[in-house]
Amino acid sequence: MRRSLILAGLAVLAVPGVALAQAPGAPTGSWVGPFAVLVAGFAMAFAAGLCALGQGKAVASAVDAMARQPGAAARIQTAMIIGLALIESLAIYVLVVAMILLFVQPIQ
Amino acid sequence: MNVIEHPPIFRLPGIPDHVTYTWAVMVILAVAAFLASRNVALVPRGMQNFFEVVLEQFQQMIDDVIGPEGRRFLPLIATLGLFILVGNLLSLVPGMYGPTTNLNTTAACALVVFFAYHYIGIRKQGPLTYLKHFMGPVPLALKPLMFVIEIISHLARPLSLTLRLFGNMTGGHILLAIIFFLMGLDGLIGWALSGTPLGAVVGGLGGLVMIAFTVGFLYPLKILVSFLQAFIFVMLTMLYISGAIEEAEHHGGEHHPAHH
Repeated sequence: MRRSLILAGLAVLAVPGVALAQAPGAPTGSWVGPFAVLVAGFAMAFAAGLCALGQGKAVASAVDAMARQPGAAARIQTAMIIGLALIESLAIYVLVVAMILLFVQPIQ
Repeated sequence: MNVIEHPPIFRLPGIPDHVTYTWAVMVILAVAAFLASRNVALVPRGMQNFFEVVLEQFQQMIDDVIGPEGRRFLPLIATLGLFILVGNLLSLVPGMYGPTTNLNTTAACALVVFFAYHYIGIRKQGPLTYLKHFMGPVPLALKPLMFVIEIISHLARPLSLTLRLFGNMTGGHILLAIIFFLMGLDGLIGWALSGTPLGAVVGGLGGLVMIAFTVGFLYPLKILVSFLQAFIFVMLTMLYISGAIEEAEHHGGEHHPAHH
């Protein structure tokens, strides 16, 4: 079962390259472009998911702390926003890499 | 990007768009500042009142983060904040271009912050003392290692400032562009089915859903992100400045728990 799943995944991954290679009039049939699109999408998906996990943890503890100490809510909120920005910047790096892969295409 | 996005309406020939719209932001801010300070009254009204509230907010944040001695840096910090905020909001106006969606503008802002806080730190502590603080309170054998690590972390600061602002703004921008693209796609489906009742239903309903989603959700979200990113940029600037001037007095502030 697992093996067939892996094979199916590999087949899906190979499809764009094969399709490009078989396209009439395609000059070289480089696989880099289609794979760059795939990688950009997957990278953004993983980054967004894991970033959401981290931010969820941070917000959960911050809300917890604010509920325990309403007097310190403003300071906790500031610290939380800064922390969220620092966590989020990691996902933003991935977004920048994905955009470079999609729009700049340094490797053809 | 040009595939899915229309270029801005107003363009100057030979000048990149982000420069043109940076000038637009400068004009907006200059006119607003002129209107606010045209006849300064003891009891503020109108524009002056608004700007006093805004600047008092900045001053409050500076007092909280840097302390009273940070008030000298109010011009730097408030200018950066207002510039970034107006630049962010400008990208939401249809037909305009947000200067902060371009990497060059955000890199310029981040480099200004980078050089400013080092300059402030060196002015405050002298070059040698300032350099010594890169080594941290570790045993002598570890100091060279610490120095290298600190240098790298300081060099990463402008990078992360640049990419955070740019990525957030551009990400939201691409999202909006794709939603508008889908709107066009929906219109296309409606056009292909036109003449039939189904065409009207698909085109009209889809268009209504898209418009409701954009106006009701995406635009408020982008306005929130605009304010938040300007706030974060300003907040990190203040943290860097306070880190540069604080360490001389009582070896490490609250931002470096390892110092105690």
